[in-house]
Amino acid sequence: MTTATAARTAPPVSSPPAASSPAPKPRRRRRRRGAIGPLERAIRWVLMIIAVAVVLGPLLWQLGTALKGAGEATVGFPGSLVPSDPTLENFVTAFTAVPLGRYLLNSGAIALLGVTFNLLLATLTGYALARIPFRGRALYIGVLLATAALPFEVILISTLLVTRGLGLQDTLLGVVLPQAVSIVSILVMRQAFLAIPDEIEEAATMDGAGAVRTFWSIMLPSVRGSIAVVAVLGFLDSWDQFLWPLVILSDPANYPVNVGVQFLAGAFSADQRVISAAALIVMVPPLLVYFLLQKQVFTGLAEGALKG
Amino acid sequence: MTATAGTVRRSAGRPSRRTPLRRHRWWVPVLFIGPVLAIQLTFLFLPLGNTFVLAFTNASTVGGGVFTGLANFATIFASAAFWDATAHTGLYIVLATPLLVGISLGLAILINTKMRGAGIVRPILFSPLVMPMAVVALMFQYVLSSDGLVNQILSGLHVISEPIPFLTSSQLALVSSVIVTVWKGCGLYTLILLAALQNVSRELDEAAELDGASWLRRTVSVTIPQIRGTIGLVAGLAAIAALRAFTEPYVLTGGGPGTSSTTIVLYLFTKGVSPGTQAGYASAISLVLFVFVLLFASISWAVTRKGRLR
Repeated sequence: MTTATAARTAPPVSSPPAASSPAPKPRRRRRRRGAIGPLERAIRWVLMIIAVAVVLGPLLWQLGTALKGAGEATVGFPGSLVPSDPTLENFVTAFTAVPLGRYLLNSGAIALLGVTFNLLLATLTGYALARIPFRGRALYIGVLLATAALPFEVILISTLLVTRGLGLQDTLLGVVLPQAVSIVSILVMRQAFLAIPDEIEEAATMDGAGAVRTFWSIMLPSVRGSIAVVAVLGFLDSWDQFLWPLVILSDPANYPVNVGVQFLAGAFSADQRVISAAALIVMVPPLLVYFLLQKQVFTGLAEGALKG
Repeated sequence: MTATAGTVRRSAGRPSRRTPLRRHRWWVPVLFIGPVLAIQLTFLFLPLGNTFVLAFTNASTVGGGVFTGLANFATIFASAAFWDATAHTGLYIVLATPLLVGISLGLAILINTKMRGAGIVRPILFSPLVMPMAVVALMFQYVLSSDGLVNQILSGLHVISEPIPFLTSSQLALVSSVIVTVWKGCGLYTLILLAALQNVSRELDEAAELDGASWLRRTVSVTIPQIRGTIGLVAGLAAIAALRAFTEPYVLTGGGPGTSSTTIVLYLFTKGVSPGTQAGYASAISLVLFVFVLLFASISWAVTRKGRLR
């Protein structure tokens, strides 16, 4: 319920539940309530450090492996956790000896096309569902909500046959089109368009603007915040895709990073150091987006969770 | 001109937001809804309908197929491999759901504080939710290997003398997959639960504190009951995510050793995509999966609804 309100206020950057920075309140108020004693503080600190270690540990260890030189063993039990002589050569090898660059380009293209489709379709449909009355609109919203609950795995085989039948196997469009409609994105855009005051649309109509003109020049610029949310969420979804590209692509030259790195790791000559370096590189774009655009990420995720 | 004036007068009379503001030409809704409808018809409704048709045929993914009635379902329910995969998925749900809900709830309560440092900890704890599952699973393939991080630490602490075979033991392979699901999934569920905690009113908590209730007592008896609905929602999401588990076992163990970590979706994949090409049989499995998903969705819906009504 809260998230719906959050999305309705025009720039949805407002009050994402957990995005807020620490903002330490004046200590005195807390003291008066006696909420936090030194013991509780210490326990909380220890638990938080453990939790952070569990999250960061595997990543740091992976980094350690990626920094190990060719001379240092990755195997052995018990072996070393920290590289004795750190080197960046594995990151270079990931781009030279291994087609990681190619995979990143594929993923970039898929993400760009995917986000474009997602934005185009979500804004058009969200607008119609919010502001254009047509027969069967309520029914269509119901259908959209129902299909949101349908897991893709259920229609995986048939989608493969349909996509193949359209000649889209091993193409960029074949990867993007079946996943282009995001119900969550449509609902986020619908909420945003619902929040625009009627007077603005009336003024546009009085000035003689048609439906398309009103949409493009008046409505779209008013929902920039939600567009950013949808774009960020679309990018993260696209970068996370694994099953569908794995199924629809057969030429390794077309693989996105997730499938490509997996393919390399399974190869007989796979060097754990190089694969670790590649895996870390794959994590950089979504983590960068996440840390730079936390508010958009959280708003979108909250909306998505609510849908489920 | 008159039409415009009429529209304006009408909307002025009924200022409700859902009132039609203006009458559009017939093609305007088509223009806005058409693209999504076209894609959904092609890539959602057509495949969905096709799944129902294929499930009753012996079609292959390379073509052909004749109507075989309920033969696929008879084969499925007589197949040891299917029940094996179903049992693994069942175990997956039973292990992953309480772990995801319990750990996420604990973390949410832990970081629901204005203590200095919590603001730095939060984004780090949520960060796995943006990491691609395939790459996370690949990372854990190394972390859980016989000379991986976990075994190194345990041996360093002298807890074990022999490495634990997380990925090569048929008893542990599925558990390892669950570990990855939980590591990656807790970020999202902690986020959802934290949002719910922050909406809980402080008054009840303060009243209980004045009555001398301990922190633990207040958390268990005052705070948690207030977010019961959200906990139900999270449990439903977690169960359905576990039901759909594919990437983790596929990347970590390929469903092995043997078929000891083959889930339903992985079984479906091996029958219909690779190495198998039995589109008809795989479609029948899809329908069984669909029934399982509907079952869990309705349970989750019922539980959440009940929680909200209280």
